Formats: sequence, C-alpha cells, structure tokens
Amino acid sequence: MSDELAALIGAEIADRAAGWDLAGAIPPEVLRGLGAKGALCAEVPAEYGGRGLTGRANGELTSHAGALCSSLRSVMTSQGMAAWTIQRFGTRRQRSAELTRLTSGALAAVAFSEPQAGSDLSAIATTITDDGDEVVLNGHKVWSTAAAYADVVVVFGRYQDGAAAVVVPTDTPGVTVSPVAQPLGCRAAGHADVVLDGVRLPADRVLSGTSQSLGLLTTLALTYGRLSVAWGCVGIIRGCLRAAAAHARRREQFGKPLAEHQLVARHLSELLVAEQTATRVCEHASDRWDSGSPEVSGEAVLAKHVAAGRAAHAAATAVQVLASAGSVDGEVVARAYRDAKLMQIIEGSDEICQLILAERALEGVA
Amino acid sequence: MSEPTTTPPLSAEHVRTELKRFLEERTKTDWAVDTDLFATGGVSSLFAMELVVHVEKTFGIAVEGPDLRIDNFRTVDAMTALVLRLAEAGSGE
Ligand SMILES: Cc1cc2nc3c(=O)[nH]c(=O)nc-3n(C[C@H](O)[C@H](O)[C@H](O)COP(=O)(O)OP(=O)(O)OC[C@H]3O[C@@H](n4cnc5c(N)ncnc54)[C@H](O)[C@@H]3O)c2cc1C
Repeated sequence: MSDELAALIGAEIADRAAGWDLAGAIPPEVLRGLGAKGALCAEVPAEYGGRGLTGRANGELTSHAGALCSSLRSVMTSQGMAAWTIQRFGTRRQRSAELTRLTSGALAAVAFSEPQAGSDLSAIATTITDDGDEVVLNGHKVWSTAAAYADVVVVFGRYQDGAAAVVVPTDTPGVTVSPVAQPLGCRAAGHADVVLDGVRLPADRVLSGTSQSLGLLTTLALTYGRLSVAWGCVGIIRGCLRAAAAHARRREQFGKPLAEHQLVARHLSELLVAEQTATRVCEHASDRWDSGSPEVSGEAVLAKHVAAGRAAHAAATAVQVLASAGSVDGEVVARAYRDAKLMQIIEGSDEICQLILAERALEGVA
Repeated sequence: MSEPTTTPPLSAEHVRTELKRFLEERTKTDWAVDTDLFATGGVSSLFAMELVVHVEKTFGIAVEGPDLRIDNFRTVDAMTALVLRLAEAGSGE
C-alpha cells in the first residue's frame, strides 16, 4: 500500500469517524483535501495527476480506510469507480480532462440504480438523447453514494441502440440531488437520489462518444466497485477484530478476562478466520486485476460476496463480544454492524452474486 | 496460458485460432468465426468483460473508449479485425 496515503487518510479521520456517523456527513473540505492528493482514486495513472497504485496496493489502502470509517471508504469506492469508468470508456481527451479533475479535488459519484432498476440493471430507463451537438438526459437515479458531495455524477442510461455513461456536472440546470434521509449504514457517505429533468450537455460528455452494450458498461464499472467494496469489508473485519480482541483482554467477568472464557475465545478465533479468509480472497482477485487476467470479473464477484458475508458475521460477533460497550451508536463495532449489512446489498446483492457464481459452477460441465 | 505476443506481424490466422481456442476452453463450444456470441443463449456480460481483458493481455493491446463497442467482440472475425487494427496502431503509441 502507499504508506504516505495511508498516513494521510489516518490523520484526516483520526477520532472523527463516530462524529461523522452521528452527524450523517463528512466535512466536504476533508474529502476535497484527500481528493486533491489523489487519495480517493489512487489507481489513476500519474499522467492524469493520480498515484498510479496497483490494484493490490489500492485495495490495501481501501481496507485501511474501511477499518476506520466505512463512509469515507464508500466515497473512495465511488470516486474510484467513476475514474475507472472514465479511464476505460473515455476518449483520450475525455480521460485527460475528467481524470485530471478527479485527482485535483473534484468529487464524483456513479449512478446506475433507479426506482425500477435495482438488481435488474437491464431495466434502466434513464434516456440520453442526441439533439444536434448536445445530448439531453431524463431519468431518476436512486441511492447514488457520494452524490450529495459530488461535482460530477457518472450517469448510466439508454443511448441510441444501446447504452452510455455520461459525466454530468451536478450544477447543470435540471439536475436535482436529494440526500437519502438517515440511511441504515455508511451514514456519512452522502447517498442521494438524482433526478435528471431535461438536462442538456455537450455531446462530448458522453463517454467514448458512441453507444455501448449496457451489460459490458456496467460489468466493467462494477468490477472495480466490487473489488473496492470487498477490500472495504476486509477493513471492517480488521476494525472489529482489533476492538473485540482489545476488549476481551481488558474486560473481566467471573474473575478473569473475557478472552479466557472459551466461548468468547471462539468468537475471537472466528474474527481471525474472517479476517484471513477475506484478505486472501481479495488479494487473489486484485492480483488477477493487476495481471490482466480475464478471470478478474468473476473473481471480483467472489471476493465481494465472501468479504461482505464475513464482514456481516464478524460485525455481529464483535458486537456480541463487546456487548453493552459496543451497543452505542457511533462506536466502531456498532457502525460496523450497520455498515457491513449494506455491503451484502450493494454492487450485486448476495443473491445476485450467488446467481453469477452458480453460472460459473455450471460452466465447467458441457 | 499464452504469453503476450507483441512481436509483429500478427497474422489474422494466428489471432483467429487463439480466440477460438480461448472461447472453446471457456464455453465448451466450438464457435464459427461469424457466429454472434451475444445472441440469445450465447455468453454473459461477465464473459464479455473476460473477452476484453483476454484480448488485451494476449495480444498486448489496450481496448479503450470507442473501441470497447460490443460489436467489436460480437464474433471471432470482429475481434480479429479489432486486434489487427489496434496492434498496428499500437506501434505508434
Ligand atoms: C448503502 C448503499 C449504497 C448504494 N450506492 C449506490 C451507488 O453508488 N450507485 C448506484 O447506482 N446504486 C447504489 N445503491 C443501490 C444498490 O445498487 C441497490 O440497492 C442494489 O442493486 C439492490 O437493488 P434494490 O435495492 O432495488 O433491491 P431489489 O433488486 O429490489 O432486491 C430485493 C431483494 O431481492 C433479491 N433479488 C432480486 N432479484 C433477484 C433474483 N433474480 N434472484 C434472487 N434474488 C433476487 C435481492 O438480492 C434482494 O435481496 C446503493 C445501495 C445502498 C444500500
């Protein structure tokens, strides 16, 4: 990982994560400051002002942030996914203009989901229509992470005979961003609904300038997102392991530390197993990403599914070990308990991951 | 696994054979060079991405921006044309 960026993120979060969680917001200057250092999308190549980290190093950085504050980590996931989508689908000019902005303090969100298109992204109804040298967008996006902070939202919609992603500045007339009130978890991640009502933009804001396959577009973007969420879950588990182990050593009941009661010791062992399992599966997937292996899309689904499931279980276990001490909102394991649950829903719910993995199970047989 | 091949000239025959080999290995189907892989009953979006990454790695090219059009991956012949074009252009990058 990048020690410099890890230290920077650690210093910015310091002991403030609980307060951000309770307030439901991260001060925008914190996000812009980290963004301007390239820390929010650290894989962006140096030629665009980025840090050029490998997927593996960025994964470790993501888990470092995730252990401290899942809301900030969620903002990193969105920024990174937006950057990756621009890097893959953008023309040379779009890449240099947009990516440079994302490494200079501008914040980005990604919008796939709509009221009628959750797990089923083929139901996306947002339209992108050509009108001379402009395009017009109409649609309703929901739950876009970091949209409440964002300068641009990468919007996925129907275009010509296929689909496209458009980089939409949030100050364009016709764009309305409405924060989701009191989300269950990642409460300071700036989730928001985005309504696009006759939003007019120059046609060169359509990434690649041509229509693409919706499936390929979303799969490419989500593969980055899944790896990022998976590493974020590794962070959640590490935070839980640290908190539970420290508590079990300190707190005494029945005349000895909790850790010396075997049933509590088993909880600790399960936390360690979760941490190791999730780490290994993420390392494996990121190595596939870094080596350009075609298996990366499937490995990212596997990593996200395993890490999210382990994180949800680990968070519940850690709350159990801390008991009343962990039952206070804002506290690390209480946050983990709420945040981890949502990781089983986003970027392909558990069930959607299982369907994809089942297809892979069937692939091996004629 | 095949090594990245950067040494020109890349022949259409070589590219076609390699793509057919990969497709057969991954889908257990022998695809004709002009069959639409994404037609009903064909391959998934996840596999489309696999194809993109495989083509990049195997032939040492980068498929970005407008070239990521699914039409470029629809058939073995389309992918072959894309690879040859990008490999040629790539020497100028
Ligand atoms: C914290 C958070 C952050 C998010 N951030 C973003 C973001 O940045 N950008 C964005 O575009 N979206 C975002 N989303 C939306 C997210 O992607 C969707 O919530 C997710 O895709 C699930 O869609 P849904 O909520 O409509 O549930 P549904 O699709 O309605 O699913 C409901 C339940 O049914 C199951 N289900 C659905 N279809 C099937 C099936 N075929 N087989 C079996 N089970 C099935 C699901 O697994 C789930 O358990 C976010 C959501 C949350 C909670």
